[in-house]
This record gives sequence, structure tokens and C-alpha cells, in this order.
Amino acid sequence: MAKKNKVSEYSVNQVPPAGHLFVSSIQHVLLMFVSLGFPVIFSSQIGGSTEFAANFIAFSMLAAGLGSIIQSVGLPFIGSGYLCPNVCGPSYFSLSLSAAWVGGIPLMRGMIIFAGLIEMALAPILEKMRKVFPTFIVGLVVAMVGVSVIKVSVASLFGVAFQGDAIRTTDIVIGMFSLMVMVLCNLWGKGFVKMYCLLIGMLSGWILAGILLPEYWYNLLTVKNIPMFALPTIGPEFKQITFDFKMIIPFTVIAISGSLKSFGNLLAAQKISEPDLKETNFVPIRKGLLADGFSTALAGLLGGMAVDTSSSNVGLAGATKVLSKWISVGAGVIFVILAFFPKLSTALSLMPKPVLGAAIIFAGCFMICIGLQQMFSEGWDPRKTFVVGISLFFGLSTAFLPGIYARAPHFIQIFFTDPLPTTAILSVILNQIFNLDVLLEKLKKKGCH
Amino acid sequence: MYLLKKWSFLIISSAILLSTVSFISGCQSKYEDLDLTMYQYRDTKDLVKFVYDAALMLEKDGTKSLDYFCNNRNLFKTKDYYLYIYDVNGTNIYHAGMEHLEGKNLWDLTDKDGKKAVQLVIKALEDKNNPHAWVHYSWWEPGKFYPVPKSSCHLKVQTPDGKRLFVGGGLDYPHEEKEFIRIIVDGAVQLIEERGQKAFSDIADPLSQYGYRDVRVFAFRPDGEILISPVTGDNLSQIQLLECVDEVGHKPFEKALKELESKNSVWEVFMAKQRYQRKLIKKCLYLRKTVISGEEIYVGAITDLPYPV
Repeated sequence: MAKKNKVSEYSVNQVPPAGHLFVSSIQHVLLMFVSLGFPVIFSSQIGGSTEFAANFIAFSMLAAGLGSIIQSVGLPFIGSGYLCPNVCGPSYFSLSLSAAWVGGIPLMRGMIIFAGLIEMALAPILEKMRKVFPTFIVGLVVAMVGVSVIKVSVASLFGVAFQGDAIRTTDIVIGMFSLMVMVLCNLWGKGFVKMYCLLIGMLSGWILAGILLPEYWYNLLTVKNIPMFALPTIGPEFKQITFDFKMIIPFTVIAISGSLKSFGNLLAAQKISEPDLKETNFVPIRKGLLADGFSTALAGLLGGMAVDTSSSNVGLAGATKVLSKWISVGAGVIFVILAFFPKLSTALSLMPKPVLGAAIIFAGCFMICIGLQQMFSEGWDPRKTFVVGISLFFGLSTAFLPGIYARAPHFIQIFFTDPLPTTAILSVILNQIFNLDVLLEKLKKKGCH
Repeated sequence: MYLLKKWSFLIISSAILLSTVSFISGCQSKYEDLDLTMYQYRDTKDLVKFVYDAALMLEKDGTKSLDYFCNNRNLFKTKDYYLYIYDVNGTNIYHAGMEHLEGKNLWDLTDKDGKKAVQLVIKALEDKNNPHAWVHYSWWEPGKFYPVPKSSCHLKVQTPDGKRLFVGGGLDYPHEEKEFIRIIVDGAVQLIEERGQKAFSDIADPLSQYGYRDVRVFAFRPDGEILISPVTGDNLSQIQLLECVDEVGHKPFEKALKELESKNSVWEVFMAKQRYQRKLIKKCLYLRKTVISGEEIYVGAITDLPYPV
């Protein structure tokens, strides 16, 4: 049995054979490509030229690739040492866009560097606050990381890019087919098939998409005019860095949200990498958050989009039980190399949306369930019911009822932005409030003694 | 041998993928001549393809194809759009959604706002800025009783028996495409260049093609003096457009004018409140510069941007 596990799984510090390392890294790279849509949309929305878009994507890929390496390679003071790659962070998208409109790319770069520094400063604080993150809240945060990808994954599976646009039945068929292939390969497959279930699902989904909807192949033809190799050039917009005091508060809030999301991702990565740990080990979490902040600042310095740890990739690691940190390093190296090969990176980014959606749902299932398992792994009481219940009510309401928060007082608007940060912050605060009686009891006892 | 077996699935999959790519790259799409790159929404692209297909049939088989259209009405209507064919005098020849209109002359038919839809279509078909002859008006759905906003595209057809017709289809509850404002702003600039100041009253006319739903073409001088207001029916209340800020403090007009120093047209994105939920959404401004009596002026319009899911 032990031998069987050794053939089909790789533990966090194990170096897989070259072939497996390469294919597993490619599997993770395909999932990381989902996030490249953000720099593409970003450059179109600020009216950037084709050259700007190409450079911006290349710098974003460099930042994500380098960030993945720093996060996982196991440096002494920085990086969690878990399989937890970096991708272009959707949480920073809107705010980065606002900064770019107000002060151009120099301001966006400056504010991303600022947010990265805030994330780095939060890392030791979160470690010191370990008592405010009991196991059930850690589980809730991890589950919410999975919940936070529901919107993008389901929309992608239906092949929809914009709200209200037409949905094709064929896209749903392609997405569901890919998802079923991934799930069944994972459930019924062994060894190679189980390990590469996502890759097999994505490839078969892509082939089916080509058969059912030839436009997916025609899209591939557009890459023929893109150069195979190109060095990103540092245009005038990438030569300056500026700051704006008015943007400090929103960027601080988004940095806190980003830290909480990465906190959840790193906790999940730890849970699947070191399942025997009885209590959360906050040292790698702190080092991971430090690496996350550093990567964000690096993205600003390079002139790319802010990066963030990827929930989907952590979920994939949980699904395949291939946990080697070297796969994350490999994926980072491939991402850096692909930044110089625009033809290849563009071709990969043309993967049908329903296939990408299926991949994120597949990975998200693991995040949600790992979190729920962790949450209910210890004794339950009515305090926890109200902490989790109320946090979920208000956290999820930000997604269900965005119109309500648009009219809410400003201080509520700042913190009630997204299900993950809202739930995380509320659960921590409510847990402290609902346990005030226990705290007072303890203080009384101390006073008596 | 063992290794080959182990990696066979991946090798076979990659081979299938590569051969399929090679095969497909040798094929041609029937829409190769139809440029749809200017549209962002699938609904819009699908509608243009739908009308294009019908135009090809009509062009090939002439009025004989009308029998096919009539006998297969369900193929030419969906829950979002349907096909219609008119002659250039405004007589309806075929209507997949409202059969009772067939044979009637609708040249003077107006929508609820007074827009003469058929006359606007004839104008759009002659407009080189408007390759798919888009017209925006208010209509209703078959069997329903409330007004529905509509954007329709049209193609001219000369049948083999010499008849001049146009084929069209309209999308109910259409998306706001950037291309729609590009068409009306470019059209307005052309009109100003041809007719000078006299063009302003035509452009400001709410029944013209230069305004639809919440969109209207406006114009102003470099010092900010309004020539056609973006928000009111007259120019009595002057707005300092260059000083106007969006919801995040961005000055879209100021930035657009800077960019227009080296370009003829510019797209500028900004944030505004959404009409119903009042949350922030992205909108965009399309601005062009032109010259009137030796003086440079700016002409533009504003529309919504697609909201990513």
C-alpha cells in the first residue's frame, strides 16, 4: 500500500521524476492561465495599445512566475514551501483600474507596491493573532476561498464572458463533459490517470470543443501573426512610479482582503500537505504571506498586475494528491519562460472557457470540502453556530445583494465588498464578542488567585 | 515499452489535438467575409450571422427562397430575435415574428417616441460608417403589450430577378455595444464636415439616428463651451466638461482631450452608477475631433461597457 502511494503521490518536499515534474507543472500552468484574462481586459479598458498589452501581460506573467518560485522553493525567511502558485489577482483588478485611470500606469504601479508592503507588514501580525483564528474559523476561511471562485467558474463553464450575454447549449455540454472526465478520472482512475485527471479533462474538453464548435479552432488561427519569441520592452508608461494619498485607504482594504485570501489558501495548502498536523503551524503561513506581499510589490515594480496565491491550484493539489512544492516551482519557471514566447502563451490562453470553468469547479470542490472538514473537526457549540451563521449570512449577502451595499453607509461599503473578506473579518470579531463571558470568567479566576 | 504505455494517453491526445488543429486550419468558415471583431457580445454577433445567412439565401435563390422562409417560420425566429424582409419602399414582404404585417407598407410607422424605424433603416443602409446598418428604436414582442428596446441590423440584397430588398433582424433588450456609438459619432462628424453648424439641429433631434435609449451625440469647443449638450435638450446650462469627474475622481474629458492632441479619436473608460442597483459600473466615452469654420471642436457619445460576470 505504501509502495502504491509512493508511485502515485508526491509529498510536499519530494522531488518527482523529471517527466512527472514537467507534466504536473504543465497541468498547474494550464490552470494558472485562467488569470491571464485579467491583464488582457485591463489593457483594453485603459485603451492600451497592442504593444502595451503584450508588455503588460509579459510583466504580469513574470511577476506570477517569480512569485510562485519564491513562495514554494523554500527560502530561509520567505515563502511557505507549499505547492501554492501565484496568479494575477482578480481582487486587485477594479482598484488597479481606478488607479490607472486617475494617474496612469505609474500610479497603478506605486499603489500595488504599497499594497504589497501592507501585505508584508500584515504577515507577522496575522501570526501574532493566531489566537483569534481557532480551527473552526480557519476552516471557514478555507471554505470561503472555495466559495469565492463559484462566480467565475460557473460563468466560465457556461461560456459567458459578460453579464446577460447569450449562452450556448454546446458550451454547457463541453463544460460538463470536461468536468465529468476530470471527476471520473480522479475517482476511478489510478496512478497516471488519477494524477493527471485535470490535464486529461482539459485536453479532452478542448478536442470536444473543436469538434462541436469549430470557432474554437479558428480562434487558434489568430496566433499565426504573433511572434514566437519576444522580449518585453519597457515603454514610457513603465518608467515611473507615483503614489496618491487618496488611494491609500482603498488599497489598504484590498491588501487586507488579499492577505486573508492568501491566508485561506496557505491554510488549505498546509492542511493537504501536512494532514497530520494537530494545530495550525503559523510559521510557514507567515512566511507564505510575506512571499505573497513581496510578489505583489514585485508585480508593481515590474509593471504587471498585482498577483495573488491561486485557490484553484491548491485545490488541484488536493485533488491529485500530488503535493510536491517543486511542481509549483516548475510551474513558476514555465510561466516565466512563456512570458518570452507570446505565440505559445496566446495559444494556451485561447483554451475554451467552459473547459477552464470545469477546471476551476473541479479544484474549488476540494477547497470548500477541506474547509468544511476542518471547521467541523472539533466539538461544536451554539457560539460557533452564531459566529459561522451570522458571518455567512452577511458575507454571502455581498454576492447575493450587491445593490443593498451600494446604498449602504460608506464605512460599510469599504468592508462589505466580497464574501471572503467579509466573512473572515466578521467571524473573527463575532468570535471575540460571543466569548467575552469566557474571557471575563478567566479574568475573574485570575483575580481570585 | 513501459514508458511508452505510461505516456501513451498523453501522446495520443496530443497527436489528435495537433492533427485536428492542422485539419481545421485548412478549413474555411462560411463567415470568413463577415467582420464581427467590432462586437463584444455573442448575442450581437449571432444576430448579424443570422441576418447574413438569410441574405445569402435570398441573394442566391431570389424570391423563390421566400417560400422556404414562409414554410419554416420557426427557423427564423428565436425568443430574442426574428427575421424580416422589406422592399426599399417600406413594404413588408416577410415577417417571421409578426405575420400580420406582411404586405403592409410601414414607411411612416413610428415607434412610441416618434422614430420612423423603416426610414431610419433606409438611411442606415446608405451609411458607410454603419456596415451592418444598425438602427435603434422601441418595438414590442409578438403577443406582448409593453415597449421593448430594440437594436436591429440590416443587409441590402439584390435578388437574381432584380428586386432590391433588405433583410433584417432585431435584438430585443439589446446590449450596448461600443460599435453603436462609434457609428453615430462618426456619422455626426461626417455630417458636421459636410454641413457645418446646420448639422447641429439634426444631430440634437431626439428622433434622429444620433440618439437612442440613454445615448446621445454631443459636441463642445476646446474651452468647454457646449454646442450640443450631453444631458439636456438645450445648451442653456453650461457644464464644465473638462472639470467633470467620475465616481473615482477620474477626469475622463480632460484625459481624452490630452490624448486627442496626437490622435483623431479616443476611447476613455470611467466609472458611473448603474441605473437600478446603483453599484459602480464602467462606461466609456468615444470622442472625435473635427473642424468647423476653421475651429476645432469635439464630438462624442457615452455608452455602457460590458459587465464581466
